[in-house]
Amino acid sequence: MRLFDGQRAWVVQRISALLLLVLAVLALPFASPLDFSAWRAFAGGVLGGPLIALLFGALCAHAWVGLRDIVLDYIQPRGLRLAVLSLIAVVLLGVLVRVLLSLAAAALST
Amino acid sequence: MRLDIYRFDPESGAPPRMQAYEVQPEAGDKKLLDLLMRLRVQDDSLSFRRSCREGVCGSDAMNINGRNGLACLTALDGLKEPVVLRPLPGFPVIRDLIVDMTQFFAHYHSIRPWLINDEPLPERERLQTPAERERLDGLYECILCACCSAFCPSYWWNPDKFIGPSGLLQAYRFIADSRDTATAERLDFLDDVYRLYRCRTIMNCTEVCPKGLSPSHAIERIRLALLRRSS
Repeated sequence: MRLFDGQRAWVVQRISALLLLVLAVLALPFASPLDFSAWRAFAGGVLGGPLIALLFGALCAHAWVGLRDIVLDYIQPRGLRLAVLSLIAVVLLGVLVRVLLSLAAAALST
Repeated sequence: MRLDIYRFDPESGAPPRMQAYEVQPEAGDKKLLDLLMRLRVQDDSLSFRRSCREGVCGSDAMNINGRNGLACLTALDGLKEPVVLRPLPGFPVIRDLIVDMTQFFAHYHSIRPWLINDEPLPERERLQTPAERERLDGLYECILCACCSAFCPSYWWNPDKFIGPSGLLQAYRFIADSRDTATAERLDFLDDVYRLYRCRTIMNCTEVCPKGLSPSHAIERIRLALLRRSS
């Protein structure tokens, strides 16, 4: 678990928060195209694809550290803790994979 | 003045209860501890710790009207009645307002609260510049009363693994000391998901410290020291 232990998790949480702030709160409302075809073109573009991938990467990393903290605080039995952490990891990885597949599909269709 | 005090005697086998008391402050009674001492004359079975009665020893820490504080520093004027007194929250109760501080002091000892310096001893004392000495202000004044740790939700959830605000403030006191040469080892010890990073920056510790110190600021400085070291 050294990958997301102590200081590293704390740094990941802060950097991902900054990315989320910049990408989701500041940039996207101004840059967002409105209809589906425009969105699809944006997602398949050279700039849009990596930006959306970065946004969801930051979202998943941020959610992982935050949810893991809540689990470590409130769920004390080891077995239950491991089960809940595994479930969170599977869901977040699933979200990330789904987004990356969609982006790849959008890039191929444009 | 009306007081509601938490009573628990493990030897009696009875569950904890709140007991109402009525006691009149007399001339010269300024602080809550004065009233408690008067109360003990009425009921000598009431147990609480106290020693210096002037906010230096930290033994009369308790939960006063929902907020941790030292009875000897809490003015009677302005206290809402009935004054509800409970033992420090989250700590095992030994009897009435007396709690078991074993774990709290085990955390304190774990941060090695002494100067570590393997360099040869100077002829006289190890000198500091006024600026180096100033860095210890707001840290060395901690009296280990545990008001902060007992008001920290993170410490309530993980009292066995999280060092807690008091221990971390003490840890930073030695990290910040120019005469200490074990900063790297101290930071290595603290860089742990439980020991340091259970702190959620709730800042109850700073809010409640009867000495006006800021453990959350010290914790932030430890995190920054770790960050500087790894960058």
